[in-house]
Amino acid sequence: MTTTTGTASGPRALARQRRRASAARFWRRYRAERAGLYGLTVLALCALLALCAPLFVGADVSSVTDAPGRPMQSPSAEFPLGTDQFGRDLLGLVVWGSRVSLLVGLLAAVLSVSIGTLIGITAGHFKGWYATVMMRITDWFLVMPTLVLAIALATVMSRSLTTIVVAIGVTTWPTTARLVRAQTLAVETRPYIERAKALGGGHWHLMSRHVLPNVMPLVLAQTTLIISSAILAEATLAFLGLGDPAIVSWGGLLQDAREAGAVSAGDWWYLVPPGIAIAVVALAFTLCGRAVESVLNPRLGVSR
Amino acid sequence: MGTNDQTRKLPRGLRLVAVAGAAALTLTAGLATPLDPAPRQARAADDGKQVLTVAVAQSVDSLSPFLAVRLLSTSIHRLMYEYLTGYDPKDNHAIPGLATRWEPSPDKLTWTYTIRSNSRWSDGERATAEDAAWTFNKMMTDDGAATANGSYVGNFRRVTAPSPTKLVIELKKPQATMTALDVPIVPKHVWEKVTDFSEFNNDKSFPVVGNGPFVLTGYKADSYVRLKANKNFWRGTPKFDELVFRYYKDQDAAVSALRKGEVSFVAGSPSLTPAQAASLEGADDIKVNDAPGRRFYALATNPGAKAKNGKRFGDGHPSLLDRRVRNALFMAVDREAIIDKVFQGHAVEGEGYIPPRFQDYFWKPAANQKLVYDPAKAARLLDRAGYRKNGDGKRVGKDGKPITYRVLCHATDPNDKAVGKYLQEWWGELGIGVRLNCLDNVTDPWLAGEYDLAFDGWSVNPDPDFVLSIHTCGALPATPQDTGATDNFICDRKYDELYARQLAEYDPAKRADIVKRMESRLYDLGYMNVMAYPNAVEAYRTDQIKSITTMPAKAGNIYGQDGYWSWWSAVPADSGGSSDSASSTGVVVAIVAGAVLLGGLGAFAAMRRRATAEDRE
Repeated sequence: MTTTTGTASGPRALARQRRRASAARFWRRYRAERAGLYGLTVLALCALLALCAPLFVGADVSSVTDAPGRPMQSPSAEFPLGTDQFGRDLLGLVVWGSRVSLLVGLLAAVLSVSIGTLIGITAGHFKGWYATVMMRITDWFLVMPTLVLAIALATVMSRSLTTIVVAIGVTTWPTTARLVRAQTLAVETRPYIERAKALGGGHWHLMSRHVLPNVMPLVLAQTTLIISSAILAEATLAFLGLGDPAIVSWGGLLQDAREAGAVSAGDWWYLVPPGIAIAVVALAFTLCGRAVESVLNPRLGVSR
Repeated sequence: MGTNDQTRKLPRGLRLVAVAGAAALTLTAGLATPLDPAPRQARAADDGKQVLTVAVAQSVDSLSPFLAVRLLSTSIHRLMYEYLTGYDPKDNHAIPGLATRWEPSPDKLTWTYTIRSNSRWSDGERATAEDAAWTFNKMMTDDGAATANGSYVGNFRRVTAPSPTKLVIELKKPQATMTALDVPIVPKHVWEKVTDFSEFNNDKSFPVVGNGPFVLTGYKADSYVRLKANKNFWRGTPKFDELVFRYYKDQDAAVSALRKGEVSFVAGSPSLTPAQAASLEGADDIKVNDAPGRRFYALATNPGAKAKNGKRFGDGHPSLLDRRVRNALFMAVDREAIIDKVFQGHAVEGEGYIPPRFQDYFWKPAANQKLVYDPAKAARLLDRAGYRKNGDGKRVGKDGKPITYRVLCHATDPNDKAVGKYLQEWWGELGIGVRLNCLDNVTDPWLAGEYDLAFDGWSVNPDPDFVLSIHTCGALPATPQDTGATDNFICDRKYDELYARQLAEYDPAKRADIVKRMESRLYDLGYMNVMAYPNAVEAYRTDQIKSITTMPAKAGNIYGQDGYWSWWSAVPADSGGSSDSASSTGVVVAIVAGAVLLGGLGAFAAMRRRATAEDRE
């Protein structure tokens, strides 16, 4: 506890001050993680590119009727990454595709982590039969092969971005749920929780005011890690032809390339750029996730 | 082919490395990398048997000749069973098959076929007129047996076999297809044990008794179909001992298998993509056969599915019942762009229903009848039909909702998706939305009538009767629960009258004339809009197949012929095997590169892990 001398600070200002201090502390520690910084830089660039894409490529890059080139042209000055089977500029497509891939990755990760956190905290807090049932459901999802389940979901639902997001979201949450539950159990044994209970704190108050802030670091790290697997899962589903064929995404580009016979024809410029893009973004998120994890996880940070 | 190809190999290897790298980086699960480090020999197996392996993608619908309609299954039936008559591989005229001679009575209502005495079933019994008579009688009396080829016998009054070599068919009305009865004749002594023809798929006990050039010896759904040469085939034993149709659901995998020599032939069904054809043309010991196809590639419209009993079903968009709408939609389809961009020249622009390869029946619309590509005119036509644009630029249906058509497409056919993308933009300009519904199996929504438009295509026989018959009212299913021979539920009285007339017309020129009028009618109706006639683009290894018959002889296709000519005539090449080394080095390099990349990633991950582990302590 800091002993601040009587400036007219209410509890609000105090909390704000403390938050600012911890954010600064977080950033200081994060900066020490070199790989995390690389990841963050790459991500920032990608995000910038995706957000600014409408300014310099525009939606008509995916138009097949006004395609500027001939089909399957190899890289040249006019088309730095060559053209696809419709004669569209691949550089533009890869840039444009980043929007969908990142969006789906983020949304799916948020959905997955939200489900996982909700189930994890409630199961850790309520215990008893509710926790047992919830954890058995979690186990069930955990043993199901994620990809197969996602394919099954994507097949029965109509083909759209929402479907892909839902398919990834509802199949990848169990690990988060388990992690969060464990952390919840640990947090709930602390004396101040008991005090809060004694002072009349209800379930909702305990979970939202005391448990959630304490599991938040874990959730944040988990989100960053899941985004990369969600991007990979999106690419995989699109590659397997389960995405919306009308939408340009990296996985969709790979699928188009495969169908057009680019693999056996050796038209590498159709396959490599989206492949590398997926790998780089997934790697960047993983690096960030690990850095965040090692900074925030109380048990990893003791020595510092 | 020459030595200067040597220089091309290194870049290919490098390119493969890059490809493998991307694949290894991207795909977490072992997805569709058909790299098999130990290539199996396609031919010259251990026991010295000559095996011809064909890579195919289409599933078998049924191995029962009474049910099968797909190209692969009917091609296999051509190999398993003899037909009364066949088509000459050079020019498609009728030639003897199981029948050596045929003769109509003066009134053309009684046809007498002389059945050959030198054809034996593979179990030793002689194939006789009795077998043929039983086959036809079964189709006439059992609805289940009439599923696939019922159109041929609808007009038969009586079929008898007065002697083992004499078959007599009596007709109700004259029928022009009597020398083009594409019906496999099955052995009576085997098939009379079958109880339910609508359920029996002929795929339980092997070998399957037949009298064609090959005998079916094994089948596993979506895995392989195996046939062995029939030593007693009357026209002569095939040169290859065994013929295997092996499944490659991924066309690129089939092409790699061809490069490696794992298969001898890649079926052009669907055709090789332009990129694949272009890359194979430069490869050693591989020949690409690019021939005018016998298929049409069309956009079918749901005319409001209904059954023979008058019950309507399905949920086709009501606006499509308006002919102006259908015509307007087709007028907004730029066929030239499809040929140029999607098929990249490996197709011919669509006109009438029957491809130009069948010159006698080929029809094209006159200048004033043709629905020329003209988006502005199409928009005016839609306005006139009462489908106007709303404030957002979307055309609204009579129910006040913006129109969005569901287009059924085959997920296995890249052309469907590619053309679909164009449709989305062309019709988007018109103010009409398009939802591509690409499925691996389109049969269920198709038969249920739950689509608005669909990509459609049929292989046309030298005698067009069958492809014409699938648009008659008679082909509709009996009830919504049944399956009819109909293609997309077209039922038009005028078309039906013409169909009956062409069937009864023996004069070839007059019949062709009526067929052309039918095509004209079909064109105007706008339920079947033929966009293109795709070429058959297929490839085979010349170091495994020395020669093979195309049909027609000049610029003809090999896979899916109207007969057994290609596989029966294929001659094995003497040498072989050496071809493997060159292409498999590329594969090995790719695998090594992939492993190195993965290893690198793994090491990197391990380092990261160690770093964080250190942090923990």
